[in-house]
Amino acid sequence: MKYLSILLLAWLPFARAGQDIYICKNAKINIYSSAPVEDIEANSTNVVSVYNATTGEIEFSVLIRTLHFEKALMEEHFNEDYMESDKYPKATFKGVMEQKPDLTKDGEYPVKVTGDFEVHGVKQTRTINGTVKVSGNTVTMTSEFMVKCADHHIVIPQVVFHNIAESIRIRVSATYAPYKAN
Amino acid sequence: MKKLITLFVLLALCICVRAQKKDTVKTVSSADSLMNSLSADDDKHQKTLATFSATRLIFSPTTETVKKNNLNFLVIHRFGDVGTPTGGPRTFFGLDAVNDVYIGFEYGITDNLQVMVGRSTIGQIGETQLKYAILHQTSDNSSPLGITLLGGEGIRPYGSFGSFSDRLSYIGEAIFSRKFSSALSLEVLPIFVQNNQQIPDLPGNEQGFFSLAAAGRLKVTKHMSLLVDYEHPFSNYSTKANGFEDPLGFGAEFETGGHVFTLNITNARAVSQINTLSASQASYGNGQFRFGFTISRMFDFNHKKDTEKKW
Repeated sequence: MKYLSILLLAWLPFARAGQDIYICKNAKINIYSSAPVEDIEANSTNVVSVYNATTGEIEFSVLIRTLHFEKALMEEHFNEDYMESDKYPKATFKGVMEQKPDLTKDGEYPVKVTGDFEVHGVKQTRTINGTVKVSGNTVTMTSEFMVKCADHHIVIPQVVFHNIAESIRIRVSATYAPYKAN
Repeated sequence: MKKLITLFVLLALCICVRAQKKDTVKTVSSADSLMNSLSADDDKHQKTLATFSATRLIFSPTTETVKKNNLNFLVIHRFGDVGTPTGGPRTFFGLDAVNDVYIGFEYGITDNLQVMVGRSTIGQIGETQLKYAILHQTSDNSSPLGITLLGGEGIRPYGSFGSFSDRLSYIGEAIFSRKFSSALSLEVLPIFVQNNQQIPDLPGNEQGFFSLAAAGRLKVTKHMSLLVDYEHPFSNYSTKANGFEDPLGFGAEFETGGHVFTLNITNARAVSQINTLSASQASYGNGQFRFGFTISRMFDFNHKKDTEKKW
């Protein structure tokens, strides 16, 4: 009898009350492309991201309209002609971190995330390298990668070819806080 | 008995704990649903972008205004008659003759307020205008229209007039536009024109009169649109009998980077609305129609901000 109760009690420490979720509501993204006539650069500070430290799932989402350019006309053309942001308002990434870093230990960990990157309505499966930095209770993730316009059916007409490069450099930086479910 | 109860409670506890473990399957969608709830109110009241690609169509201004610290340079031409004896292949279908040339600048004081300064050949009329976007259309239809107000004044410094104030004309209009889809945008404009001295200066002509204009653009490719522009002045003098015909224009608009080019065919000879609404005596039926074009170039005078944030 005693042994039975001890055995049954032994289950309890393995109880998982919930998942370890981190969120960031104002991650930063910078897009940059260098071309002979004009450099194209935009920033958004409204990227939303959720990271599940237990399963390694990570998601990013940004409204294309929150990407702001120095030149108002460039922003208008970007949304109207190239990204067609009225049809495809968001760019998203949904993936899984292959080797989850230990978030209880301070330090910088290089990570690989594999998942679907959707821009302009076209999904591409990508493996993206990034860095996770743990410092006390805050988790910061940064990454830099290239995106080819053609991969996402973003058409650059010949007339403006010299202005816009075919590959865009993306930089993402997100500082997470643990999420407490209500 | 006690032992049995304790055992039973423990068993129940363990079953509950095991049931919680199954939640790992649910959290795949809970991350998703968390993302969705975080970005739920993203799209509220998003201003509709670029109802039109330019600040004017053929005759009519649009609800678009030049952005802050940007300068729009405009050159607008109306050539000679195509189908009258002065037209035809000899004068290259009127291209040899110039009926009106407008050169003007539009400057964005704020994103919604612009000032325009321009000069036309017909009447040597120099104009200044203020254009203010009071309402923007939003993507969630909380505002279904864009509304822009325009007020302007024209002065004819040359020619003999009774007094200085006779040289002045005024125009006021409200532009209502709606972007129906990424391809189709339409606008309606009630306009009031006041010419201190009638244009043309003929007995019976009215000094002040209302007009109604309607215009639209249909996007055919990413950078090319078709335009239609029509104005109807409600003036007792502007009748067919007196040789007037409502201005009606058809055009194609090409947008490339910082330039917008418009090629059009109109009956009206003038560029300025003060002229087209007051004195359009050109008729398609008589071959009195012409080619015209608009070239506009946007210059951005904003200082380069430090966009290279710390990464």
